[in-house]
Amino acid sequence: MAFVDEIKEGEELLKVDNIYMNFGKVSALAGVSCSVKKGSIHSIIGPNGAGKTVMMNCINGLYHPQQGSIIYKGEKINHLKPHHRAKLGISRTFQKIELFSGMTVLDNIRLGRHIHLKSGILSAAVYLGKTAREEIEHRRFIEEEIIDLLEIEHIRDKTVGMLPYGLQKRVELGRALALDPELLILDEPLAGLNLEEVEDMARFIIDVNEEKRWGVTCVFVEHDMGVVMDLSDDVTVLNFGEMIASGTPEEVQTNPEVVKAYLGAEDMYASRR
Amino acid sequence: MAKGFLPCGTYHQDYAHDHAWWQTRFVKGKMIFLAIGLFLIIPHLDSYYVGIVNMIGYTILGALGVDLLIGFTGQITLGHAAFMAVGAYTSALMVLEFPWPKIFIHLGLAYPLSILCGAVLAGLWSVLFGLPSAKVKGFYLILTTMAAQFVTVDFIITQYVARIGGRGQAFSLPPGTIKIGPWIIDSPTKVYYLMIILVLLCIGMVANLLRSKPGRAWMAIRDNDIAAETLGINIIFYKLLSFFVAGFIAGIAGAFWISNLAAISPEHFPWSWSLWLVGVILIGGTGSIQGTIFGSMFMVLVMEALQIGILPLADIYPQLLEKFLFVKESTFGLAICAFLIFEPNGLSYRWWQIKNYFNLWPFSY
Ligand SMILES: Nc1ncnc2c1ncn2[C@@H]1O[C@H](COP(=O)(O)OP(=O)(O)OP(=O)(O)O)[C@@H](O)[C@H]1O
Ligand SMILES: [Mg+2]
Repeated sequence: MAFVDEIKEGEELLKVDNIYMNFGKVSALAGVSCSVKKGSIHSIIGPNGAGKTVMMNCINGLYHPQQGSIIYKGEKINHLKPHHRAKLGISRTFQKIELFSGMTVLDNIRLGRHIHLKSGILSAAVYLGKTAREEIEHRRFIEEEIIDLLEIEHIRDKTVGMLPYGLQKRVELGRALALDPELLILDEPLAGLNLEEVEDMARFIIDVNEEKRWGVTCVFVEHDMGVVMDLSDDVTVLNFGEMIASGTPEEVQTNPEVVKAYLGAEDMYASRR
Repeated sequence: MAKGFLPCGTYHQDYAHDHAWWQTRFVKGKMIFLAIGLFLIIPHLDSYYVGIVNMIGYTILGALGVDLLIGFTGQITLGHAAFMAVGAYTSALMVLEFPWPKIFIHLGLAYPLSILCGAVLAGLWSVLFGLPSAKVKGFYLILTTMAAQFVTVDFIITQYVARIGGRGQAFSLPPGTIKIGPWIIDSPTKVYYLMIILVLLCIGMVANLLRSKPGRAWMAIRDNDIAAETLGINIIFYKLLSFFVAGFIAGIAGAFWISNLAAISPEHFPWSWSLWLVGVILIGGTGSIQGTIFGSMFMVLVMEALQIGILPLADIYPQLLEKFLFVKESTFGLAICAFLIFEPNGLSYRWWQIKNYFNLWPFSY
């Protein structure tokens, strides 16, 4: 496949082109489009049941839209499975945490390195030379790049299922970052966190987006308007599976359609700050 | 299962140390004792006891593959005996029928090579019956793996393979055919040495796989296949790899076991043996290599004890001896029920608790 290798800052990394997704009679997405620019934070907002999660599942390959295309680096990827898309640099977190809850934090993050481990099965079976070296190399990466960044040194050997919710969300972000992704899908990473945790998480997202080392493009689903307006470069608004607005945060905020869709749910989406 | 705790006051110096199997001097010391026990003491026991240990080793080899599938990959299998049969028959046929060049026979290479071929063939055969796992889960997979048992043992082997050479149902293995290098495997002690080498190799292989990429992928599929797939794990590939490795070890087990037999027949690989192996890992604790070992020891030793215990009673109730199979099977059923109710994490969990208690001593709170 002819993926464009180098996409420059500000050019289109991902394009969702007029996708339709129906579950039987329920139409979850109807003609949604958006264009995510490399290096940006692109927020997807909308009331409950608007189809945000369904859209993320389409981008990451868990669902396959019935119509329209998902274009990544200039190439249509509709037919690719999630594991294939992960290898192309698309990584994600889930709204409902999907960690391996019986494993330790370290093992969860190690699994995020899966696509970068190159040694073969025979080498793994004897665990000499290549595999042993590779394991140490990746352990160093995990410790120095991810555990340090997310400040989770103290829980690395803890079983994930035992951790408080806020830390689990953070571990899930760590696991998604371990893929060293180009595009990171964050499905409500702030939901259910307390104020302090929200601030930490927002800081991590800004870090991985802005730091040269990471430079990760983010697709960010969130209800908290305050955070959305602060963080995002672009915003797309969904309502009942339809796209009702898109543009810069300022444009979207003053769009009458958006105001209407959010009317009546005012307190629910009011900023926590 | 979570990592055990290191003894008080011990810390890791570097990542390599944290990744090692045996991390403290104490553990290394224990391993030396174990090695002395395995290589210097057991071989000199009475051959009756060595025979029991061989049975344990055979059970470990079988259960290891079952645990890999059920305990580590989450793919329930009820047809493992079929793959052991494939290994055993491949090996036996190669030793008996294959026109080996004289030099191979002379150097005793025929049997070792046949073990390898049996293992690979059993692995591929297992992949064939693992293919449905790409589409189906749980109950339906149980049925397809059961099909492996009936298709392989009851149909292909009984109807066709066992008739090769016109020997009738049982293949007899004349003394002297099972030869490795200069050694003819003809006594329980020699079988024991072969067994211990194969068991250690297989356990080492599985343990290494489990602490690297494939093993983590298996456990990820077991715990959450959707998350696994989004991390870039090719679920179908790793499921089939798990079937291959499990079948490979089953093939080794089957091919090894013919060294202990004077003849093999399809009756050595009944469906109940597949079921038995699942019982072994339930009792030992699924998803744990120690569990496989403890489970195998427990089951074999309990059955031996039962046999010995029943002999004196047989004078009073002669049926007990005649119906020993029933006694054995009901004990097996009771043991599994008891473990599922009272110790669902199996023997290995108890072991882990005891170990940690001593490691954290004297600050074990
Ligand atoms: N697998 C599915 N099968 C049937 N219907 C589905 C499925 N997934 C989502 N839907 C439907 O699609 C619609 C959009 O759901 P979605 O989860 O995308 O909403 P959302 O915007 O993420 O909402 P929230 O803010 O609550 O997370 C809902 O009506 C939902 O019931
Ligand atoms: Mg959602």
